[in-house]
Amino acid sequence: MASTLRLYLTCIRNTLEAAMCLQNFPCQEVERHNKPEVELKTSPELLLNPVLICRNEAEKCLIETSINSLRISLKVKQADELENILAKKFLRFLSMRAEAFQVLRRKPVQGYDISFLITNYHCEELQKQKLIDFIVQFMEDIDKEISELKMSVSTRGRLVATEFLKQF
Amino acid sequence: MILLQSHSRFLLQTLLNRIQNLEKCIELDHHWVEFDDVRYHVQVSMKNPHILLLSLSLPTPPLETVFVGGLPFGAIEAIKASYGVIVQILDPPRDGFNLTLKLNLSKLPQDEDQRHTLLVKIASVREVVLGAPLRVILKHLASRTVAPDIDQFVALVHRPNESFFLVPQQAEKVTVVFPMRFKDSIDTVLATSFLQEFMESRRTAGLSNAPPCLWSKTPPLELKGVTDDELSANAGFVTFVILPRHVEGRKLDRTVWNLSTFHAYVNYHVKCSEGFMHSRMRRRVESLIQALNCAKPDQEKTKKTPQTRSFKRLNLKDSRTNSSS
Repeated sequence: MASTLRLYLTCIRNTLEAAMCLQNFPCQEVERHNKPEVELKTSPELLLNPVLICRNEAEKCLIETSINSLRISLKVKQADELENILAKKFLRFLSMRAEAFQVLRRKPVQGYDISFLITNYHCEELQKQKLIDFIVQFMEDIDKEISELKMSVSTRGRLVATEFLKQF
Repeated sequence: MILLQSHSRFLLQTLLNRIQNLEKCIELDHHWVEFDDVRYHVQVSMKNPHILLLSLSLPTPPLETVFVGGLPFGAIEAIKASYGVIVQILDPPRDGFNLTLKLNLSKLPQDEDQRHTLLVKIASVREVVLGAPLRVILKHLASRTVAPDIDQFVALVHRPNESFFLVPQQAEKVTVVFPMRFKDSIDTVLATSFLQEFMESRRTAGLSNAPPCLWSKTPPLELKGVTDDELSANAGFVTFVILPRHVEGRKLDRTVWNLSTFHAYVNYHVKCSEGFMHSRMRRRVESLIQALNCAKPDQEKTKKTPQTRSFKRLNLKDSRTNSSS
């Protein structure tokens, strides 16, 4: 299990390294505008083929690239209802704090749980290697956090039930 | 605090305060609300400082519950039996309340311990009133009899417009069924996983004396004949089978309290674990932001530059040792 996760993450890391060569590119339609092309999709010649990396049905990662921006969308594993709720809660928590994260997109792309939008400005401000590290760490952390939260809920449930039944 | 206390802490504190300065004439007028929409009102007037008026408002009963004069059946007898002479029931109660008690504080027993137990008992007035019908039925169970002229099921109010059901028709056991309803979808999911734990932990060795506990998505067979409206529950049904050994002697009080606040107990822990989750997530967000900040190149520079420019001030002694070395 752990080894498949490592492979998945390595694959994403390599893809990101290749995809993250962004350059400044002003908008072709409106003068003096500079927009992330991956969001607007105004001209097809500026877009590259999107890459979809799947670990399984439930866990996948879509990387869409354009000349000046890059969009990474993640789908997190949700095995049951409880995990679903926990993931939703946690990701909403993050999206609400998108300002602090800079590269986080406020709304996920349709069909995914969370998305990042990296523009050439981010690449200029931040170190590319560290940025990739951050995204990979983020994916690891989400999985870990959700499984830990799930564990804590069931431990608490067990304790609550035992204490109640001890009363009789 | 894992378990819910049966006395209202604020009421107990108010009573204790009042008794310590009984001679002082103070005007008191407190309103407060407890879980499950139970409201209290305490009033003391300047004229009679040893008279305390305590009013209690219960959650709105749904149609299927039996209320006699605004109170659950058996409540008046229960109040009289547990409080005796120091309490007088006022009829009619204050506007907007189900029950008003007139407490005569000068009639409290002189003995310190006895007085404290009685005050705690007064502070748990909610248990006495709301738990009264349950207590009547469980008392019959303890003596292994069936109460005369009792219906097939008894519905007892425990939350506003919600009730739980008792099936008391067998002498050897009473089945208690809780339809679990939650407003929030997250609460529902968490509560469902909690309730499944109830079923599982009942199977462990240490708890074999506890009442058998079942959880199911659909209403249990015992409740055949109850209308669908009363049985709409989004977190399933919990069934406890109470046997005579669970209500023997002193255990009766605890069992009554635990059963009548079962929903509040589960709800309380669901909220607690949500709170815990939030604080945990907040911490995780912070650590992720830190990870992102590591990617900023400026930070490393600013860390280094002040060190290279700073000078260490040496005093005379240091400089000497430096030169000698």
